[in-house]
Amino acid sequence: MRRANLIEKEGVQIGTVEDLTGVFESIASTQVAKVKHKVELSKQFFQLLWSRYSAIRIDPTTRITSRQEREGNGRQAFVIISAEAGLSGDIDQRLIETMLQNYDSASTDIVVLGSHGATQLTQRGIKFSRFFQVPESDEYIDVSPVIEAVMPYSKIIVYYEEYVSLGVQEIQTINLITSLKDMSSTASDEDAITVEETIFEPSLEEIAEGMEMTMMTLALNQTILESSLAQAASRFNAMAVAKKRAGELLADYKLEFHRAKRAESDRALREVMTSLKKKRQRAGGRS
Amino acid sequence: MAKPTTGPLQLNVIARSPFTVYYEGPAEVLSASNKVGQFDILPGHADFFSVLAPGEVIVTKTDGDDPTTFSITNGILTVRDDEVYLFADV
Repeated sequence: MRRANLIEKEGVQIGTVEDLTGVFESIASTQVAKVKHKVELSKQFFQLLWSRYSAIRIDPTTRITSRQEREGNGRQAFVIISAEAGLSGDIDQRLIETMLQNYDSASTDIVVLGSHGATQLTQRGIKFSRFFQVPESDEYIDVSPVIEAVMPYSKIIVYYEEYVSLGVQEIQTINLITSLKDMSSTASDEDAITVEETIFEPSLEEIAEGMEMTMMTLALNQTILESSLAQAASRFNAMAVAKKRAGELLADYKLEFHRAKRAESDRALREVMTSLKKKRQRAGGRS
Repeated sequence: MAKPTTGPLQLNVIARSPFTVYYEGPAEVLSASNKVGQFDILPGHADFFSVLAPGEVIVTKTDGDDPTTFSITNGILTVRDDEVYLFADV
């Protein structure tokens, strides 16, 4: 049996791990609450703006999304939105695995957002063409460099993480170009905003083009924010499991410590008894 | 620019940025500015779609309360049948 003081030392270390995981769990929980509200607000904003954008009626062939399909480089870009740091559970791993099911290096380039995703790809020996850091933020970030990087592609598929509940996070994909095109054709003619009935300042064409870029930027930011929420939830779950495990381990260590302490005490008692016995025997022999 | 209206003479305004609800409710006037200059939207305004310039937006309410004022860095404003949507900081 190991010595009690060694077990005690290890127990203190496990206790520190338990405390730390508890702190991370609390931080993740706060982050979930904070980001969840923002995601809700942002979704409502996006839907309202989308309803107006989709009602604008212009020649579909002049839209950026139509031009992109015609004039793109014929390749597709997979945009992976992962966490910037570790401790986010297995969600990034699931994201990469889902993406790899559809990945063909001959026709696809990978654009990674977040260091954790880049690390995971490197570990698997998969090359990516661009990498962007994702600042820790619960606000929209400047995604214009990402948009600029993916604009030459004919097809842009974004892989992101969706928060379903605190216990469930799912991997989702969105085709940035077709989703914009599809949405823009869903408005009924009754709702249509036409140049005959509406005053546009500046022109309809300028507004439509600006809106299309805005919608693409917002859609990408929306997926980043949604992923951030899912990562916080996944981190919360991972930390809750780690805390529980550390707690169980600590209980085992405590038991082992008490056993060792008891064993040491018994041994000391035995030694005292033995020496007393010997003393008595010696004393008896002399009398 | 004005067109006849049969409903009550008020606007229904939704003014939001991605994470902030600036104002939602009835209003008498909404003032903002675009490339052309400052403008006011009143009930009965023609359908309007505009890209906003940086500046202050003022919503004058129907109940006589103090107007709601907020600054934007950019935005999109749409007016349709007295429904005013203002999307700030996009």
